[in-house]
Amino acid sequence: MHTSKLVLVAFTALGVISLTTLTYAKSPRTEKQIADENKALTDVVAKGDALWHNGGLGTNGLACANCHPDGSASNPHTWPKFQTNLGKVGTMRDMVNWCIAVPMQGKPLALDSDELIALEAYATYTHRGVAIAPAKDEQHGAVPVKSGPGYP
Amino acid sequence: MDKISRRQFLGMSTKVGAATMFTGILAPSATSFFGLGGVSHAGTRKISEFNFAILTDAHLYNIADHKFDHILEKAVADVNGLANKPDFVLYGGDLGQSGKKEELAKGKKILDKLTVPYKIIPGEHDYYLDMGAEWRGMFGPEHWSFDHKGVHFIGMNSILIKDFWTARGLTPVERMGLLEELECHQCGAWGVGEAQLEWLKADVKKLSPDTPVVIMTHSPLWDYYPRWNFQTLDAPEIRAILKKFEKVIAIHGHVHQVVYNKIGNIHSAGLLSTSWPWPYPPVTLPHPDIKMNRVDPGNFEDGLGTHQVSLSTDFAGMVNYRAFADLLPANVKRGLKL
Ligand code: HEC
Ligand SMILES: [Fe+2]
Ligand SMILES: [Fe+2]
Repeated sequence: MHTSKLVLVAFTALGVISLTTLTYAKSPRTEKQIADENKALTDVVAKGDALWHNGGLGTNGLACANCHPDGSASNPHTWPKFQTNLGKVGTMRDMVNWCIAVPMQGKPLALDSDELIALEAYATYTHRGVAIAPAKDEQHGAVPVKSGPGYP
Repeated sequence: MDKISRRQFLGMSTKVGAATMFTGILAPSATSFFGLGGVSHAGTRKISEFNFAILTDAHLYNIADHKFDHILEKAVADVNGLANKPDFVLYGGDLGQSGKKEELAKGKKILDKLTVPYKIIPGEHDYYLDMGAEWRGMFGPEHWSFDHKGVHFIGMNSILIKDFWTARGLTPVERMGLLEELECHQCGAWGVGEAQLEWLKADVKKLSPDTPVVIMTHSPLWDYYPRWNFQTLDAPEIRAILKKFEKVIAIHGHVHQVVYNKIGNIHSAGLLSTSWPWPYPPVTLPHPDIKMNRVDPGNFEDGLGTHQVSLSTDFAGMVNYRAFADLLPANVKRGLKL
């Protein structure tokens, strides 16, 4: 608030007033840039969707979707938290890797891999709007989906 | 009641702790606490008391020595070992995962180890590779009925979907692949279809309203969560055809979970799978107190199990969920009255 006021004064003094400029903490983006950025996210969510349904991550044919339809019961709004199977406070990515290793009998992904980010993006997107609730002990359904894949 | 049948009636689980429920459940208050269907059912004619078992949703993969093979083996052994021997077993569909001949053959080989006869209906995972051809070759008709000790049993194929594949030029493998996903959003809603509705009408035509009826379908005969095909498109028509009966017990697979509903004269229960449990869909359950607990993903047997259903002389049904791990809250552990 303070900084924007100061900036406003400075800009007014120069006689160059641009309200849009002033409301942004970082440099403004054009509508096209915003659309491109959203598209980039949707692409990663779609990639996560494909991986979520792909038995290739494990060795026994199972995919995340076998047990987590529409991303449900991954509870992305509750992480990081103490998770019994992990035996420590971990992130959702740790738990995704645990599910790959144990129920799917596969090889865990690198924590900074595009694949893990995509899986996280899909799970999080299917729970958009759900209040963040660290450590909350619940099994949460994904946002109800009427039709389509569940994202734009 | 003799000792064994009372044990069945009380729905005692294999767990030692369940024995402490004995006194509680005999008290009238405990009965009304969980008395959904009510104990007596005026109207249905008397039957001879008996029980049957149910297995469903094995989802066998065409992979040797797969963990689901072992769980189905365990389920068959569990049913074969029941002290109060069931008269027969019903199987609720999704024996295979991708409709492959090898999967179905493997499943049949395991089910054939049952020491009592079984009747089976198809699930979507058995069906959409070859539209049920292999399945029918192994198991016969997709719908059937029979009478047993005064009860009329019906089984139907509830997973028939309008052709969405021809126009898209999908191969059988692609079609099956889409239907393998619970949330398939290109597949559409399924049902039993006109032909089976006509068959059902004819099948029950001569039965008097006091006939006790048990119907098994793969999917629920009520709108639970259509997104996951937790529904049957023509369930309203089926319910209308069965409306004349005093009481109908409906059991269904596909949901891989404990769930109960009652619509009019139809008392329905969902079943545990022998593969993986589904989480509850994002809707309010019709009876929120009747559900299973969260599952430990580190225990491959958690969330899974078999079922024994006892029918009393006045057609009071009791579903005993025989969960392989500690899955059931106390009220469900005591048995679900239908
Ligand atoms: C065979 C079934 C199965 C498969 C396959 C599976 N999971 Fe799980 N997973 C579970 C179960 C059961 C739970 C516990 C659910 C609960 O907490 O109620 C769980 C828990 C989780 C959790 C933690 C939820 C919480 O709040 O503790 C995450 C995250 C998760 N799974 C992600 C995945 C992802 C991503 C995949 C695929 C890479 C996957 N799982 C594959 C069965 C499975
Ligand atoms: Fe199933
Ligand atoms: Fe199914």
